[in-house]
Amino acid sequence: MTTSTAPATEGAARRGALSARTRPPKAGPLSAALTFAWRSMLKLKHVPDQMSDAVVLPVMFTLMFTFLFGGAISGTTHDYLQFFLPGVMVLAVTLSSVFSGISLNLDLSKGSFDRFRTLPIWRPSMLIGAALGDTFRYFVASLVPFLVGLLLGFRPGGGVVGLLLALLFLQLFAFCLSWLWTMFALLLSTPTGFQGLTMPIQFVLVFASNVMVPPQTMPGWLDAVVSANPISHVATAVRGLLHGTVTAGQLGAGFLACAAFLVVFGTVTSVLFSKRQR
Amino acid sequence: MTVIDTPAIPTGAGGRLRWVFIDGWTVTQRAFAHWARNPGVVIFTLLFNVLIVLLFNYLIGGAIIVPGGGEYRDFLMPGMFTMTMLFGIAQTTIAVTTDVDRGVTDRFRSMPMSSAAVLIGRAVADMLFSILTLIVMMLAGLAIGWRAAGSSQAFWGAVGLILLLRFALIWIGVYLGLVLHTEATTSAQTLEFPVGFLSSAFVSPDTMPAWLGTIAEWNPLSATVTATRQLFGNPGVGQSGSWVVENATLMAIVWPVLLLLIFLPLSVKSYRNLSR
Repeated sequence: MTTSTAPATEGAARRGALSARTRPPKAGPLSAALTFAWRSMLKLKHVPDQMSDAVVLPVMFTLMFTFLFGGAISGTTHDYLQFFLPGVMVLAVTLSSVFSGISLNLDLSKGSFDRFRTLPIWRPSMLIGAALGDTFRYFVASLVPFLVGLLLGFRPGGGVVGLLLALLFLQLFAFCLSWLWTMFALLLSTPTGFQGLTMPIQFVLVFASNVMVPPQTMPGWLDAVVSANPISHVATAVRGLLHGTVTAGQLGAGFLACAAFLVVFGTVTSVLFSKRQR
Repeated sequence: MTVIDTPAIPTGAGGRLRWVFIDGWTVTQRAFAHWARNPGVVIFTLLFNVLIVLLFNYLIGGAIIVPGGGEYRDFLMPGMFTMTMLFGIAQTTIAVTTDVDRGVTDRFRSMPMSSAAVLIGRAVADMLFSILTLIVMMLAGLAIGWRAAGSSQAFWGAVGLILLLRFALIWIGVYLGLVLHTEATTSAQTLEFPVGFLSSAFVSPDTMPAWLGTIAEWNPLSATVTATRQLFGNPGVGQSGSWVVENATLMAIVWPVLLLLIFLPLSVKSYRNLSR
């Protein structure tokens, strides 16, 4: 008779050990997104390279272009800095936003992404959370060149309000641009392949823009290309906000550039992401 | 039992010299074989240099003031020819470091071959690649409208100065390749840009803050850039009147010779001290 009761007792004991406390409630979309945002923040602690890369390069560009090229472009380094520094802030967040894609691509290649898919969470929270967590990096990446610029003699006519609006606008821009890199992260299987393809795109986006020099000094055909580049519209809007000279048209074009990145690449990313879930 | 005849090591000075050149040429051919099997690296290197020409000429060139007037492309090209010679340092460093880390250099040292041949072979291969790079750059310059206005003797003199600088820079690359590990070679690449930009290659030191202009003028690269601008008959030599600008051709010979006197013995010493 003992043989029949033993398994029952054993099973009850096992169940008791497994469910000593009640199962925690299923994470809501916001809770899951914030958890992934925190994970993104922790990556900065463990992989500080991504922060230093995003900050060191723009600072180097600021110093190099201001002192070496400034006098040859604008007559004096001071005059050139007033034009160039807002562009460097755009450059900084553009380079910084790539790490969103690198991070996701590493998760995909290491299998972390597949582990997260097995969790009872709202699926898009992985991407949205990571994008939210990156906002701190964008903030630092845009603020550090600004502080260096202040030391070198940059004086924003827009004051503190202009600076805050410019920083907020850069946050929005970086968030929207990050979907381009997220799309490539989902398309390409290896981190090497990802970096190999995104490097030339970054190069074209940044250099074929009005970040460094006004397009009026370029040949006609190139002026047209540069004027069509969304980065140019963003740089113009940031310049206007910092100097307090922004027009509704400039701001509108800047928002339109952000919206274009978000709508086009956000949609493609959503499609690619949902395909991966199957 | 099979007896393998090892080649006899020459004893006379002439024989030894011939031995160095034959073995050196074998090492050079090995480098050619590497490039032939991996043409992507060669194409990328050449295209990267052309891309920088296009970037500076079309995107930034229109905004840059050339001292004494003239077209920016004519000012830029002598600087770009010199810059490509500088960019070659990383290529040499990576090639040498890769051979050291993979144990290829140790194999060469254990063979009955001239010890000088390994370094000479590498230098010859890189010099020949530099000539190819210079030809491609000159064609790119001609395509964007650059012209050498000087005499043919002056033209070949300028080419000679550019290649003399490259020969000196090869030995910096060889030395760095022998003392650095593969992971550290990126630092050699990173150093190229500040050294290259902090010269008169892209903008005249006259337009820089005084302290920075002085540093740029005394950069060994600037001597070659200024001398080749003079010899090619291109604008923007600079009106600072400093001694180093006035004697650019002399300095374009002195700097490479000085670099050779420092880095050639250092390279030989580092090569001999490997694995000790």
